[in-house]
Amino acid sequence: MRSFALLLLLSLLLPASATAEENGVRAFTSCRACHSLDPAERGLPGPNLSGVIGRAIGGAAEFDYSPVLRKAREDGLRWDAKRLEAFLADPAAMFPGLWMSMRGIEDAAERLALVRFLEDPASR
Amino acid sequence: MNRRQFLRSAAFGVLAAPALLRKAAAQEGPFRVKYYPVTAGMGSRDTTPGPDGTIWFCGQRNGTLGRLDPRDGSQKLVDLGKGAAPHGVIIGPDGAPWVTEGGQNAIARVDPGDHKVTLFRLPEKEAYANLNTAVFDRNGTYWFTGQSGIYGRLDPKSGDMTVFKSPRGRGTYGMTITPKGDIWYASLAGNHIAKIDTATGNATVVEPPTPNQGARRVWSDSKGRIWVSEWNSGNVSVHDPADGSWKAWKLPGSNPRTYAVYVDDKDKVWVTDFGANAILRFDPVTEKFNAFPSDKAGANVRQLDGRSGETWGGESGNDRLVVIQTVAPA
Repeated sequence: MRSFALLLLLSLLLPASATAEENGVRAFTSCRACHSLDPAERGLPGPNLSGVIGRAIGGAAEFDYSPVLRKAREDGLRWDAKRLEAFLADPAAMFPGLWMSMRGIEDAAERLALVRFLEDPASR
Repeated sequence: MNRRQFLRSAAFGVLAAPALLRKAAAQEGPFRVKYYPVTAGMGSRDTTPGPDGTIWFCGQRNGTLGRLDPRDGSQKLVDLGKGAAPHGVIIGPDGAPWVTEGGQNAIARVDPGDHKVTLFRLPEKEAYANLNTAVFDRNGTYWFTGQSGIYGRLDPKSGDMTVFKSPRGRGTYGMTITPKGDIWYASLAGNHIAKIDTATGNATVVEPPTPNQGARRVWSDSKGRIWVSEWNSGNVSVHDPADGSWKAWKLPGSNPRTYAVYVDDKDKVWVTDFGANAILRFDPVTEKFNAFPSDKAGANVRQLDGRSGETWGGESGNDRLVVIQTVAPA
């Protein structure tokens, strides 16, 4: 009976987990035009995003950031999941004058999926 | 003279002091800069002059296409649809603005009369194309780029659309058409420019001499030479397809970032420099730059276009349009 319950639980959880992962992959598709999660891939128009959560804002080595992000780095700001999620809702509102140009992601679930995807070391 | 001093002196000489302005006029013609504030938070970026004297502009942050009448300053915004994020706008042979509408992954036509929006969606398999820039060829076919690594064509009459994979993947960005009708694009992440064979749809890559230069936008001059804004190198460069030659010039200052390029009807080259927060005019004959720094920080002019005597851009960071008028000497 316990095995049956476990199987039932797994059957409920696994598709949901897979869907969340797929959503994150999908949400990151647009970002790939400028960003990479492969730590070895440098020289793209946007900074490398492997390990971005926990990193200083404007903290990717050898990347020339917008003045507003350089200031954020000087102010000691760091990316955490909450800040990144708020940033993705309207990047230019959080950092006016940002060189990156994109409309914010309105859908909260999509933003969350993207943040989780970026948090997950398996995404690299 | 360091970069800041250079820009300050350029701004002073060109924009502020009447005596120096008159002196400059004898050499280059005087320039007049005007700003037009638009709706706050709209992210006013790519612009294009309409045939009726108005200026169309993209509001990437609020999903609208704007129309400014510089004669009286009046403005109107057209809602392009849910989730819209327009990037580029050009005028079609029908006189209508056509928009690379990245948010809905579609090409949008806005009727200039009633502002009705018609969408031509990309195929499902080309989701997230990151639509960028477009041109019309001489047959009225609309060609477009997508930064995710595609380019394509749309027949506006039938709605038929074909999408091609860019030969080196992601980065496909600015696009231009030469007087002969050749179509070129730039690849920002791919560090090259490419010519499209409009009959087959195949693209042939041409490598600029500066490695990892970040070719972002392209614009043809009257002789069919391709001017390139190089984001990474801070150069403006030119390629002559007739003989395969290249020339490049570094923008003034210590850390230039060349974003937009536009060539006016006198073959003067206009670029934007994010490093200097400025629009620059480059004279290929004298090889000299004039700098027009914005009067507000973080202007971020991402594209330039114009008409005779006027160069237009959108200050995406300040929600303003800017025009630099070149006044003909008396």
